[in-house]
Amino acid sequence: MSESDLILGIVVATALAFDFTNGFHDTANVVATSISTRAMSPRIAVGYAAMLNFAGAFISLQVAATVANDVVDPLAITTTVIFAGLIGAITWNLITWYFGLPSSSSHALIGGVVGATFVAAGADAVLGDGILGKVLIPALIAPVLAFVIGVLAITICYGILGRQRPGPVTRGFRFGQVISGGLLALAHGTNDAQKTMGVITLALIANGSIASDAEVPTWVIVSAASAIALGTYTGGWRIIKTMGTRIIKMDAAQGFSAQGAGAAVILTSSHFGFPLSTTQVIAGGVMGAGAGKRLSAVRWGVAGNIVVAWLLTLPAAAAIGGLTYVVTDVFPGVVGPLLVSLVGLGLAAAAFVRRVRHGEPVPAA
Amino acid sequence: MIATVVDTTALWETAVYSLIAGLGVTAIFSLALLGATRMSEATRDGRSATAALYAAVAVIGLLGTAGAVVGGVIVMTSK
Repeated sequence: MSESDLILGIVVATALAFDFTNGFHDTANVVATSISTRAMSPRIAVGYAAMLNFAGAFISLQVAATVANDVVDPLAITTTVIFAGLIGAITWNLITWYFGLPSSSSHALIGGVVGATFVAAGADAVLGDGILGKVLIPALIAPVLAFVIGVLAITICYGILGRQRPGPVTRGFRFGQVISGGLLALAHGTNDAQKTMGVITLALIANGSIASDAEVPTWVIVSAASAIALGTYTGGWRIIKTMGTRIIKMDAAQGFSAQGAGAAVILTSSHFGFPLSTTQVIAGGVMGAGAGKRLSAVRWGVAGNIVVAWLLTLPAAAAIGGLTYVVTDVFPGVVGPLLVSLVGLGLAAAAFVRRVRHGEPVPAA
Repeated sequence: MIATVVDTTALWETAVYSLIAGLGVTAIFSLALLGATRMSEATRDGRSATAALYAAVAVIGLLGTAGAVVGGVIVMTSK
């Protein structure tokens, strides 16, 4: 096995580790509303979401194509650049997980890859038009759209069913959440698993393992789907708490509306190849379903903290990705990525132990 | 400048289809629930014709919801 194949192996393992943390980190987005309205028990909700995340990863490849071609120049990419970008994304995911903040895994990944590419190959290798048109503008529009749909959906629900007895209506909407929650998990699989597929495909192209115009290999699809499903099943319980109870205290109709709004926006965006932040979209739907009932139902302080985390995600992950590239560049060949992986694993383990010992996260409010 | 960078048609279609899907499914499912709750009340009160009418609303609503979900997934997989 050549040295470049070894580096490729480390990159693929790191990408799948990112995919795992993506599922782990974003489980909350998918299941929090179902759990907080008692539509499903936590274990069943998480298992159900894991299965549908796995299935969703097979549905479409539009987002993978965008990540592989429209964010950075594929010709300027090396396996070390991708490795550095992934470390930037994983590190930012773990930092926000540590503090219980539902930030965007997608923007962390794109930020990390952009930062590492910028340091490695200069500004020309960063496709500003693609980032603006395919990432930043959809990222601004999608949560607002989910918010608007959430407001209108809850208004429709209350308009049609407001005068009915609450017991049967609540039971009905809990059943509805099984459908809307399933669609949301499917949507998450279509959009988020594909980002990892896109990154692994970029690494395979950079290594010369596949042609630049090749399709995403089947083993890449299966392994990315499995990693995100496993991460989802493992679950990020502290973010579930923030997403499910701290933004708004919701009823079953609001949960259904929020999930429906999120699923509609993410599935449609996946169809058109926009790599969205599923976190932002779902939080937009949750806030919309809260604001549609009354504006004061939304804890705007918590929402503000989440917005700050989102704003920091792209630059922070880019900075970590760029810094990681500098470190790996100091050590020749496989030594740099190996060293960074070992240090990263050690820091991640320390963060887990510290968090388990201290229990509650630093509150998001 | 932004107009040349952004695929405005795709963004516009995303917004329109999301709105139609999100609000359409919500409305149809809410009507199904309305049919189910009213059917139960009408049955309890012995109004069988009204109960049958609301049962039809509930069934049509549920079928519409299922159809919208399946249709959406088929559209996703067809591209």
